[in-house]
Amino acid sequence: MSDFQPILTEHIHQKECHTLSFYISVGGYSALEKVLAMSADDVIELVKASNLRGRGGAGFPAGVKWSFIPQDGEKPKYLINNADESEPGTFKDRLLINKTPHQILEGMIIASYAIGCNTAFIYIRGEFFKEYQLLEKVVAEAYEGNFLGKGILGSDYDLDVVIHRGAGAYICGEETGLIESLEGKRGWPRIKPPFPAIEGYLKCPTVVNNVETLSNLPHIINRGPEWFKSIGPEKGPGPKLFCVSGNVNSPGVFEEPMGIPLKDLIFDLAGGIKDGNELKAVFPGGSSSAILTAEEALSVNMDFDSLAEIKTMLGSAGVIVMDEKVDMVQACLNIARFYAHESCGQCTPCREGTAWLVKILTRITSGDGNSNDIDMILEITDNIGGLIDFSKGSFGKTICPFGEAVAWPVRSFVEKFENNFRQYISQEESVT
Amino acid sequence: MPLLKIDNAELEVESGITVLQAATANRIEIPHYCYHPALETVGSCRMCIVQIEGMPKLQVSCNTFVGEAPPDKKIDEKYDMVVHTQTELVKQGRKNVLEFLLLNHPLDCPVCDQAGECFLQDYAFKFGNAHSRFEEEKRVRPSEYLGSQIVINQNRCIMCTRCVRFTRQISGTGELFVQKRGYDFKISALEDQPLDNLLAGNVTDICPVGALLSTDYIHKNRIWNLHEQPSVCQDCSVGCNINVFYQKDRIFRVSPRENHDANGYFICDIGRYGFHRFEEIERMTSPMRRDEEELTEIQWDEAIKVVAKNLSDAKEKIVFVASPFHTNETNFMLGRFQKGFFGALPLIEEEGITYPSGFSINSDRSPNHRGMNDVCPSILEDMASEIDQQNIKVMYILDDGVDRELDQEWKEILMKMDFVVVQSYALTEVAESAHIILPGLAPFEREGTVTNDQGRVQWLRPSLPLKGKARPDWRIIMEVVNTMGKQELSYSDVGEILAEMGKCFPAYEGVSLFRLGDYGLSINGKVKSS
Repeated sequence: MSDFQPILTEHIHQKECHTLSFYISVGGYSALEKVLAMSADDVIELVKASNLRGRGGAGFPAGVKWSFIPQDGEKPKYLINNADESEPGTFKDRLLINKTPHQILEGMIIASYAIGCNTAFIYIRGEFFKEYQLLEKVVAEAYEGNFLGKGILGSDYDLDVVIHRGAGAYICGEETGLIESLEGKRGWPRIKPPFPAIEGYLKCPTVVNNVETLSNLPHIINRGPEWFKSIGPEKGPGPKLFCVSGNVNSPGVFEEPMGIPLKDLIFDLAGGIKDGNELKAVFPGGSSSAILTAEEALSVNMDFDSLAEIKTMLGSAGVIVMDEKVDMVQACLNIARFYAHESCGQCTPCREGTAWLVKILTRITSGDGNSNDIDMILEITDNIGGLIDFSKGSFGKTICPFGEAVAWPVRSFVEKFENNFRQYISQEESVT
Repeated sequence: MPLLKIDNAELEVESGITVLQAATANRIEIPHYCYHPALETVGSCRMCIVQIEGMPKLQVSCNTFVGEAPPDKKIDEKYDMVVHTQTELVKQGRKNVLEFLLLNHPLDCPVCDQAGECFLQDYAFKFGNAHSRFEEEKRVRPSEYLGSQIVINQNRCIMCTRCVRFTRQISGTGELFVQKRGYDFKISALEDQPLDNLLAGNVTDICPVGALLSTDYIHKNRIWNLHEQPSVCQDCSVGCNINVFYQKDRIFRVSPRENHDANGYFICDIGRYGFHRFEEIERMTSPMRRDEEELTEIQWDEAIKVVAKNLSDAKEKIVFVASPFHTNETNFMLGRFQKGFFGALPLIEEEGITYPSGFSINSDRSPNHRGMNDVCPSILEDMASEIDQQNIKVMYILDDGVDRELDQEWKEILMKMDFVVVQSYALTEVAESAHIILPGLAPFEREGTVTNDQGRVQWLRPSLPLKGKARPDWRIIMEVVNTMGKQELSYSDVGEILAEMGKCFPAYEGVSLFRLGDYGLSINGKVKSS
């Protein structure tokens, strides 16, 4: 077992840990007091210095994102807390909302102060109804305690927080799809430029940060960027919540330093593979990441750069474990079906390509595959998103990264478990 | 100004325009579907991809902006951006997008009304694969009515959403939306608000494929059988530019022609379908004389003589009625009568509409009110009381046509006349009062110029042949004037009359058909002659 002392989830086993009084009793909102005495620029510089990278999936440096917000100009600025957590295999934000909602709120206030925003939103996944109700209470408590509203803690800084429930589309987790949805429109990602930092919510400068990213802020303020950088790899440091699910004995959320070996997550923290089976494959960062073979999984560390090196990603840190009993072709079909169902349908390659993949995979699993199918699948994934291969002009085939989110996993299944696909196809061919 | 290089062309372009705009303005083809210059950019079809030096991925040219590069970032020390539209990477990218678009397309070009003017056809031919690799079952869905005159063939739709954006951004009526998601998408109209606004027909024009169809044209003809005549709409004083598609003596379709000094990109359905009202009318094809209650055919020579004699006998006690439905040349020619009074019937007005995008349908539903006033001798403000005071008994009327309804007052005035000549293409209410009817041309047969309410002179070109013994209206007047014997006019076409008009009215000086071309000329700023 790890000897790491949890930071974000330190108190989640305490009774009433979600309440304001509890949060204050463990030093909550002290970072906010410090921030209110600082200049906004200093807060941004401090967070930049910490190398805090976004926890939602893309891993973009949070401080840098904030610094794109134009500081002149008449338009109001907005912060949106992305609590749409919809990546399959990901359930860390939900835990944070349930157990440490004031930590999130404090992070939001700090971020809002840094970018000069007076209205912030929490965009919460529609299915999180209980969490929504809790957040309503928490926000009301914060207003009462003068952590929100006019003249926060005696300063001249005002902030309102509005909670908005999503309606259940995966794509609304993508920041511009989320902004469209928040505006009351269909959740269709926007073409960029303009980026949200210039024209986001209601065409005003907007920052979208993930729940976990925001939760880190009070700790960075209190303990400083050097402390933060000392946890895990310096280029992408900090505590990280890992969600482990699938064929393991003790699935759950585990807070560990960035860079923990994936092997330790699976075999120590999550109690190893169920029923004594062999490990077969792992999604390291939600179903949008390229899948890893057992061999790859046993040697990789869980941080942005280590995973990028082996052509996958940390993503949302949704670790989905599959054992030897899993039929990789069926699993691939399942993933493809999910993405075909969730494709917003704007962009030609994603709308048509995802459905095409499902049709081919369905044919293969029902015994009608042919030997061309494997190359065809690889080519279709390339044409929707493709792996990181600039020589082939990959990327940029769709408006948002959804194209890559379906191409990467499907392609990796076929490349890494080609034999499983061949078996389905050759069975059919031997019959005919 | 940034220096842009697209393939081999060096272009100096405005800062801030897109690569696609720069290419289009310089006649470099970049295929695209979802982009339309009148609509907000969505960048979703992915067809307009290009390769840009210094950028690792292909870019959509509709949303890539050209700007000045800092000195150390210039390419070849002078270009601010270098774009390639013909590399293997770009060609393959287009092929891939077209392959996706055609997966579920029914490939029913032989029975599709868009065939021959379809961007899916054209781009597939130019840029696509010659074969399909798709072995699966296609998505098949029934066609639906979106409005009383608009049908959608869901199977042909490529989801460019131009139509949806049109109803939101141009008409502001918002009837259309995308229903369902992803592969199951379809374009639908709101249940309680079908696509029946007066701009609805435009969605069939901006649809780049054969998905949106007008019931008015569906399965009526093939586009390659039709002649396309650029002309001007005659259904209100905006003077929208149109293309009239006709075969022999029948019009099949009217569609908008882009002119940013008149209508922009669109037309309204009043003008689009307006040609039908001339199809079923009882057309005047021969001069007629009224004997008691009977109208009888007479020869042109005789008709002209009778008219000339009656006009001469009336001395100056005549009212010549000009018409805002007729061309400048015809109204100008009416002015050649010189002696007598000039008037016009009250304006035909209906509700005017201005859409959020600025597109208007004017309340003045005549095409040439401004021009008529410009080129006719002073038009009486109150023709009715002048007729009464001067005890006028002879009228020569240029008929407004089938749109004119006469009120009781005018019916009575016409009843009191001793002699009424009406130049008309149909037996209208006004023509019913005539002693002599001289058959002129119907709206789509006429040639000449019209001046819209903004002072733009435009070339009205004929698309239908004249019928029976009908003659151009200006020629009829010329013959009457000459027969009266005081002048010897000898114009052989509208161009010559236009030149003469320019001599009499400085605002029209220098205006010629050649100079008007397809887009017309503004006479604003020139002083109107009295």
